[in-house]
Amino acid sequence: MTLLRTIVGEFRKTLTLPAALVALGIALFGTIAVSLLVASSSAGHAAHSTPASVVFNTVPLGTVGAVILGVIVISSEYTANTPDAGGGRQISATLVATPHRLVLLLSKVVVIVVLIVVTAVTAIAVSLGLAQVILGTTGGHEDLSDMIARSAGVALYWTLMSLIALAVTVFTRSGIVPLIWFIANSSLISVSLLLSKLTSLARYLPDLAGMRLFATPSSLAVQDPLEPLTGGLVMAAWAIVLLTASTLAFTRRDA
Amino acid sequence: MMNTITAELIKLRSLPVALATMGGTLAAAVVLAAAIAASGTTTSPTQVVIQSITYLQVGLILLGVLIIGIDYTGSNMRTALLATPNRRTLLVGKCVAYLLAAAATSAAAIVAGFLTATITLAIRESATETGADTWPVIGAGVYLVLIGLLGLALALLLRSLIPPLVAMLSLVLIISPLLSTLTSYAQYLPDQAGSLLYHRESTAELTSGTGMLVLLAWIVAIGAGAVMEFRSRDA
Repeated sequence: MTLLRTIVGEFRKTLTLPAALVALGIALFGTIAVSLLVASSSAGHAAHSTPASVVFNTVPLGTVGAVILGVIVISSEYTANTPDAGGGRQISATLVATPHRLVLLLSKVVVIVVLIVVTAVTAIAVSLGLAQVILGTTGGHEDLSDMIARSAGVALYWTLMSLIALAVTVFTRSGIVPLIWFIANSSLISVSLLLSKLTSLARYLPDLAGMRLFATPSSLAVQDPLEPLTGGLVMAAWAIVLLTASTLAFTRRDA
Repeated sequence: MMNTITAELIKLRSLPVALATMGGTLAAAVVLAAAIAASGTTTSPTQVVIQSITYLQVGLILLGVLIIGIDYTGSNMRTALLATPNRRTLLVGKCVAYLLAAAATSAAAIVAGFLTATITLAIRESATETGADTWPVIGAGVYLVLIGLLGLALALLLRSLIPPLVAMLSLVLIISPLLSTLTSYAQYLPDQAGSLLYHRESTAELTSGTGMLVLLAWIVAIGAGAVMEFRSRDA
């Protein structure tokens, strides 16, 4: 019962954060807008671009939205108010309302998962639909079950990246460093990609491991990426390990 | 004026996060240069430095955003304006302090990156291109300072720390690479136009000179709005 009430409370808190709405907006409207742009610019000439190839190439933009949400859900708790308003932090009020820290962190995770999955499914479905309308069937048909699997892959990838960002922010508390790190690493020129040129072990880094959940091998710059299932499991393992470690830290540290 | 510049420099030096940014940029330059040189994609130290700029610009953007944004996180801006009521003087002081800090950081990072790249390439015993062109390296240094200045202008316009940081990082790391594959107008984005300073090949419409002008135009456009707002609005 406490858990349910905390989840509702966290939902309300997250959705009233302007930054959270911006993050979800980037993931939702950014993906749709860029898909539209790419689709309409390649509608005339490029016969090889299919709705799937267009839409699943815009996924990095949504990853940025997902990691911003993961970071600010935690960092907003620790940002000090202006001295005029007492200079307090939200976390004190939150912990007074919900003294059970495990329940609190769990509710935040639930909120993230629900918000990101809903956003991802909406963004990808709308983008695919629009791209289909614009491009027609010039690029040939695609396997529907394959598209559904890749869409689910996007939802899973965004959710796991968001949870990893959340777990890291529990440690750092300030949002600046995780924001820089995760935005830079969601880009097409990520640090992980640079590492993958040095050692094949870089394929096991969370962001590269999960790439095949939605991307075709040919669209990836990394050599010999992990298979979707293995990659997804590796990424999930990262998320679980980091979340466990951050739970330990969160339940034991001073607020 | 001199006092304001000195004061802003002292303020910058006393900010742990600003020092960490400058040190971090330097460290990142060394690590990245070593990594890129070791990955064997290029044999020229100049090329190694140029490839690391994409990552290094994050440090300078953070520095530019911090110098304004940190004042808006607390009531620091009011204290600064009490000490220097003339807003134009304060702004010039902040900009000069930024330019000094950024030029030092950028020069140090690029020299360190160049030396690391040369040493790494020598250790790997790959045939190092000698007589390397120095202009792209200098251009890269200028670009780093300018892209940070754009971050400063945006922070002044948005009067905050995190939003301009996210906006700038998304622009240079996500939106710009994404759009550049899409439309040729993407070369007029500030970072793409500025990157012509260190990429030797010029595009059909822009050269290094006009590219820098486009980047400066972005800075002036955002900066002019920000300055007008800063001079007329409440702190």
